[in-house]
Amino acid sequence: MSEKIIVIENLVKRFPVGEGEFTALSDINLSFEKGEFSGIVGPSGSGKTTLLNIIGSLDSPTEGSCTVMGKRISDLSHKQSAQLRNMHIGFIFQVYNLLPVYTVFENVEFALLLQKRSATARKKAVMEALEWVGLEKMADKKPSKLSGGEGQRVAIARAMVKRPELVLADEPTANLDAKNAHAILQTMKKLNEELKTTFLFSTHDEKVMAYLNRLIHLEDGKVAQDEWVTAKSTR
Amino acid sequence: MKLAFQLAYKNLLGAGLRTWLNAGVLSFAFVVIIFYNGLIDGWNEQAKIDGINWEWGNGHLLNEKYDPYDAFSIEDGHGKLAADKQENLTPILIRQAHIYPNGRMMPIQLKGIDPNQKTLYLPTDLLNQSKADFPVLIGQRMAESAKVKTGDDILLRWRDKNGTYDAATVTVVGIFETNVPFVDGGQFWMSIEKLREITLLADQTTYFVASENYSHTETAAWHFETQEYLMREQTKLIETKKVSGSILYIVLMTLGLLAIFDTQVLSIFRRQKEIGTYIALGMTRWQVVRVFTAEGSMYSIFAVILGALYGIPILWYLSKIGISFGTDGTEMGIIMAERMYPIYGLGLVFGTIVIVVLSATVVSFLPARKIARMNPVEALKGKVQ
Repeated sequence: MSEKIIVIENLVKRFPVGEGEFTALSDINLSFEKGEFSGIVGPSGSGKTTLLNIIGSLDSPTEGSCTVMGKRISDLSHKQSAQLRNMHIGFIFQVYNLLPVYTVFENVEFALLLQKRSATARKKAVMEALEWVGLEKMADKKPSKLSGGEGQRVAIARAMVKRPELVLADEPTANLDAKNAHAILQTMKKLNEELKTTFLFSTHDEKVMAYLNRLIHLEDGKVAQDEWVTAKSTR
Repeated sequence: MKLAFQLAYKNLLGAGLRTWLNAGVLSFAFVVIIFYNGLIDGWNEQAKIDGINWEWGNGHLLNEKYDPYDAFSIEDGHGKLAADKQENLTPILIRQAHIYPNGRMMPIQLKGIDPNQKTLYLPTDLLNQSKADFPVLIGQRMAESAKVKTGDDILLRWRDKNGTYDAATVTVVGIFETNVPFVDGGQFWMSIEKLREITLLADQTTYFVASENYSHTETAAWHFETQEYLMREQTKLIETKKVSGSILYIVLMTLGLLAIFDTQVLSIFRRQKEIGTYIALGMTRWQVVRVFTAEGSMYSIFAVILGALYGIPILWYLSKIGISFGTDGTEMGIIMAERMYPIYGLGLVFGTIVIVVLSATVVSFLPARKIARMNPVEALKGKVQ
């Protein structure tokens, strides 16, 4: 039996709006197994990013539960949430969110600094991660000198360098042209296949969907459809 | 904490000109504070040394009837001290008198001192060396106000102990320069034996100046005022100057710290996505607060380095050539050299560094606390208001 990495039960998320409330997610029941390459898809405002944020312990549910790697998100303290993100979860953002004053190497190294790994171990891991994304020769460059595709590859290396069990990618191709988007997706698919890392996307990009094995359609904060599909392979 | 400083260091260097502008403003405050304090300390040191050398010695043994603050007490404020108790003491007798330079009448104090004394810097040996019948010494300020110069003869009129007036022509055999107004303005110095002779006050002394080797024992009709007691007014005045100087520090520090505070507030607003990213990558919110606080501390450390780069040569140069204020302390009745030489002690420098670093840390921490309440999702979106 496969290991369940994420279990979501009866999850509801409401946000205060003025004097009332807006329900962003309603009655979500999902589970994800280790090694999945899945996506939460749907139009803008459907609650994709909110769900991803809760899974990433950046936010917490209003009702119900979300358990990630055996840890119930709403029960975690700030410190425990940070620990969970630092040790087990990698994030890839739409606008890369690279730290502008750091070099490519330092951006990728950041998560390992938080893990207090030795300088030698950090260097080895960073260079390995940069090799995965084909940017080992750009280690000394600042993010401002990178193209969009390169920036997102650095973000992937940063998410992967600590070998997390789960990578959460929020619209990772939204700012990329088709060629770069495919390159990025192939890189992530390859890492998923080789390292068995679970990838969970939030997207409404058809190009991304083509690579996913499972599509969870969200509409108005509810799961409209949960389907397994035959995805593009890197092979 | 090490990580916070590592990140803060990179962030500040990465911020470029903004960092150096803030560090520059703070370094200016830092250098000026050290300079002003150094100047006050230099003045204090100079005043203390000059006061001891020219006036206070190691303390004064005063006749109980003599009050330095009451000119009327001069008349009767004198007495005789047994010779065996005068060891390491220089006797001074004061009498009221008048001089008539260029036809004008000026009241003065006639001060008799042992010409062979070595306790005070007064060049009393000139009194011994002179062939004049009635040699006197005066200070530069006295010479200027009476418009006399070395070698000039002046008519002097005094009263003896019986109140009988007498007069003689005295010769100015030397004009000394000193920063200590208490031995200069309105005073004529002469041999104490001569003064005792013309005033019929044999063996009488108003006060004694103690030398370094003097050891005081209680003596009837005389009371001892220590060196510290004698310099209390000067010390108080300098302390007052320090307090008024602190207003300057507060203004300068406020400007420097305001620049840091402003930068931090703006930084936290502008760098929301970065803050969100830090948290997403696994930092706790308080770790991020520490990074931003460390950035503020590092502004002050950069300010210290920058201040040292341009401040050390400037302050060193000023301490060598001194600073002239175009006046001395005569008019104010204080000991103040025409040219003052700042003294920068280690305590002053390190004390200022600690104050600057601590203040910068506090003003950085205040806005950074907001991060602890920040919603990381909103921060990542850059929507925190």
